[in-house]
Amino acid sequence: MITVNNVTKTYGKITALNNVNFNFDNSHVIAIMGENGAGKTTLLKICTGILPFDNGEITIDGYNIKKDSIKAREQIGYLPEMPDMYDRLTGREFLFYIGSLRKLNDAENRINEITKMIGIYDFLDYEIGSYSKGMKQKISMTSAIMHNPTNLLLDEPVYGLDPLTSRTIRDFIRNKKGTTVIATHSTQLVEQIADLVYILMRGHVIHFEEVSKLVSKHGSMEEAYFHIKDENNV
Amino acid sequence: MFETTKVILKENTRNLFKKIKETPVLYFLFTCMILFSVIVFAYSAYFLSVIDIGFIVSLEDVFFTVFFVFMLKTIADFHNYFVKSQQVSYSLSTQVSQKRTIFEIFLAIFLIQLIIWLSFSSLFLLIAAIFRFNIAYPLEYTFFTLGVIASVFIGGALSINFFSTKRYRLIPTLILLGFAFQSRTILFVVLTLPLAILHTSWSIKNGMTSYLFSKRKERIKERSQVKIRNIIKTQFYREITVLWREKLLFSFIFTSVVTGFFSGYFYLYGEEIFIPEVIRKSVDDFLPAMFMFLGVYVVIIYTAVFPGLNLFLNEEKTMWIIRHLPVENDAIIYGKTSALTLCFLTSIPFVPYISIFIGLDRIVFLFWFLIFSYIAGVIVSVPIGVKYVGKKSDIMLLYSVAMLLFAILGAMSTLGNIIEKYFEYPFLMYSLILLIEILVLYISLKISSKILSLNYS
Repeated sequence: MITVNNVTKTYGKITALNNVNFNFDNSHVIAIMGENGAGKTTLLKICTGILPFDNGEITIDGYNIKKDSIKAREQIGYLPEMPDMYDRLTGREFLFYIGSLRKLNDAENRINEITKMIGIYDFLDYEIGSYSKGMKQKISMTSAIMHNPTNLLLDEPVYGLDPLTSRTIRDFIRNKKGTTVIATHSTQLVEQIADLVYILMRGHVIHFEEVSKLVSKHGSMEEAYFHIKDENNV
Repeated sequence: MFETTKVILKENTRNLFKKIKETPVLYFLFTCMILFSVIVFAYSAYFLSVIDIGFIVSLEDVFFTVFFVFMLKTIADFHNYFVKSQQVSYSLSTQVSQKRTIFEIFLAIFLIQLIIWLSFSSLFLLIAAIFRFNIAYPLEYTFFTLGVIASVFIGGALSINFFSTKRYRLIPTLILLGFAFQSRTILFVVLTLPLAILHTSWSIKNGMTSYLFSKRKERIKERSQVKIRNIIKTQFYREITVLWREKLLFSFIFTSVVTGFFSGYFYLYGEEIFIPEVIRKSVDDFLPAMFMFLGVYVVIIYTAVFPGLNLFLNEEKTMWIIRHLPVENDAIIYGKTSALTLCFLTSIPFVPYISIFIGLDRIVFLFWFLIFSYIAGVIVSVPIGVKYVGKKSDIMLLYSVAMLLFAILGAMSTLGNIIEKYFEYPFLMYSLILLIEILVLYISLKISSKILSLNYS
């Protein structure tokens, strides 16, 4: 469970998040939508402890991200939008590196299981520098879920993936227990897997509703998104 | 017209101004150091021209040094701006012919090197003129400028053809380079400029084989090494793996051996080479001690400061990995810094090679000074690297750290010599100093850990 209370984040004169509040509970897949620069990636980075913020409070399963940073980060799995990794390590070495830092004793079994599931197992002994974007995304995804985190934060999880892997990831997210937060531009993905959607605009939450209700009201998530945008004159 | 050239030049200029704005103190320091270096160089040139001390730095020596530096810079720049540049994909996919785009990239690099050469040489001439040093050498200056131009062309051809599946294309430039260094005459390099231009033009025409050149390297043999370790060992193993695969550890050992050999040689024969007989007595043991100091200093810069800074400077886009994991900052700092212990081992070959010339009489002092200098290098470089995390290898930072270390090690070398001369059991004093230094190292790593923390307001 992730709670975000009155969080503000600025980059110099630009306000990326303006006093926002979220309550990502355990039983839902939550989508964050919004235009480029709306603050989606910033929100995820703040929740994972990668970026500091100016005001407010964030807790992950009850642990404060500032004060109990280590405990809070133990509960998180994170997939960044552009997964840059160590180019001179092989995929296997990178995943064992993450497994070691997360103190996972059964890392080998988990790595084999997940990489076979998402179709990167055969390339694990190649250096990451030679991987395509999709292959990097698969390695990064494995690193995000290998420790069975209760809170999963995914930034554009299926971007750059082949159709079969996209479907596998979607099924995985749907069946996963705990909190899953997805930042995405894909209305189709939101419709397929999300229970709730938050729409962010210029650092503010302008709408929050169940996806099924929005779809039944507007016909599709895409229509709903544009309708909400027009309603708010943005 | 020349859009790619303009973009590269514009980006370079903006980056420079942005860096100056972000770290004005460091840039001010850097400018002072450049001015100081040029003044020393101009003054040395003046000194050597008016006082015959039996030591001559020939024009060819300076020429080939300048030539070599610009050639290396061109190779690195061409690799960054073309071979591994993802951004170039945009211009390569337009209707502008690809060879023209590569030529425009080369042109930008050519202009950058020329601007650097003209700025530094003008500054040198200005300072030399202030010292009333005769600067009316138009022919030599023209030759030097043509030499820089030749080095840029040769560097360009080397870069394009080295990062290609068809490395045999390097042969013409390598032959040219071989003859140039064999003949050691400025005129030869200047006269072969048309040949260098010809080969570079041909290489640019066939340059697309080098674009985004990468070999998919399979490492099945290393699979047995992959296992779950504790946090410190994990960080250590990762750093060492990268140093090993980038072949940096070999390069450290090579530098230590070569520096040890030459320092020893100059320790023994430096006075004869550099100091005229009439004043030799008055300088006493200064020169041998200086060469020993300089040897250690060079080795430390290469094997401690350079990897120490890069532990964090290189983590530009990968900081998200360690930041989002449940790992204490202390563990990150200790783990990464522990990799420098292996780098220290690569500096040890310096000792036996210098000892060939200076004997074993000063072996205790030498070992102590090497260990002291290495730890000092780590103390200075790690917090600065953490402070500027993600800013990549910055020559300005390296230069600033090098100068700071020069002052510290200079003072400690003098103190070490005094201890050796006046204390009956210098070993005890050396041990005490090392103990205090280890305490300072601990404080430095703690400060680094603090700097690494996210700064919540």
